[in-house]
Amino acid sequence: MTLPARPFALFISDLHLQVSHPRTVDAFLRFLAERAVHTERLYLLGDIFEYWAGDDDIADPFHQTIITAIRAVADTGVAVFWIAGNRDFLVGPGFADAAHLTLLQEPQVIEAGQRRIALVHGDAQCTLDTNYMAFRAQVRDPAWQAQFLGMPLAQRKGIIAGLREGSREAHTGKSYETMDVTSEAVTDVFASLDADVIIHGHTHRPAVHAHGDKLRYVLPDWELDDAPPRGGWIELYPDGTITPVGLARPAEAAAPPTRPTAA
Amino acid sequence: MTTILITTNQGNITAELDAEKAPKTVANFIDYVNKGHFSNTIFHRVIKDFMIQGGGFEPGMKQKPTPATVENEAKNGLKNDKYTLAMARTSDPHSASAQFFINTKNNAFLDYPGQDGWGYAVFGKVTEGQDVVDALNNVKTARGGMHSDVPVDPVIIEKIEVL
Repeated sequence: MTLPARPFALFISDLHLQVSHPRTVDAFLRFLAERAVHTERLYLLGDIFEYWAGDDDIADPFHQTIITAIRAVADTGVAVFWIAGNRDFLVGPGFADAAHLTLLQEPQVIEAGQRRIALVHGDAQCTLDTNYMAFRAQVRDPAWQAQFLGMPLAQRKGIIAGLREGSREAHTGKSYETMDVTSEAVTDVFASLDADVIIHGHTHRPAVHAHGDKLRYVLPDWELDDAPPRGGWIELYPDGTITPVGLARPAEAAAPPTRPTAA
Repeated sequence: MTTILITTNQGNITAELDAEKAPKTVANFIDYVNKGHFSNTIFHRVIKDFMIQGGGFEPGMKQKPTPATVENEAKNGLKNDKYTLAMARTSDPHSASAQFFINTKNNAFLDYPGQDGWGYAVFGKVTEGQDVVDALNNVKTARGGMHSDVPVDPVIIEKIEVL
């Protein structure tokens, strides 16, 4: 019997953690304490934070809560990995050292059973969104980042707040198709990495898609402070079995926040 | 409290079985013990810092027949804590027969309701020989035919007996 089985890896993304969403934060902390310790690897696939202004913000008490919880998982022996999202791509070595995790560039490939599984956040595959792709090319440029991180933290936070507002407005003008991955970009990931499976987030459209005989799993975003409640992760077993898990179980049901809600 | 002695080629393990909390599981297990089923079986599946599993195969991975199955008693409040004994099974919740495992970590995700609404039934705990369990946790393993996580040097259960 190959049961009991323990996942080889867990994948999670798009928590958009922020002080103003305490129930979502609590759900993530419960996931880390109750689920993430029972695997060999934990992959954080982007947009874990709603925004990240730079590693000099690590001392912020909210960030310390998250860092401490991730570090606790890593310190039980779980290998924790981080792939940047479009919101938290400025996470750097300072954060990685504090959280005891490893920063990875995308794309990454992980193997289990007979399967090669490609891991990306998903924003780089939304190639119809030409405005975003241009923005991404700019902000992922190391020279741009060095220049940005040279500004005072308060100034960076102000710029980011403005960018988030602009993003919210821009969303209303974009078509449903524009804000999803394109089949060309997906095909390119499968082909260039010789992958059988892709796991990604970013689009907040959880699903399993077939592309010929290949599969693409999309992670959900997490939201437990606003309706509708949503969240989940993906489990990969040593024999290559992939199981998406939704936040439907009693242990993960939204509980009252353990700290006062932000006004 | 029923006490059993597991004699292996790599040390002995004593365990107390909880017939009060897991009556059917303990009765089923003792039945296999008394029939000598566990003699010359192996711990065939060892995953470090998860669990060690055995009682189903002879050395050489020849499966022993196990005619009797037992109802899933995982809802008994006992936790899959480190050094507890629990029944292995297939995805059928009531398919446990003779194969058992010893948790080598606190595996709360195996407790009722678990991943599948049923969980894994805990029926005892190691009282002596935790160091033997720790050593078995660290044995070198490899793929063996269709099976993975097989100890390279067979861990043989010479016998299990009721003390």
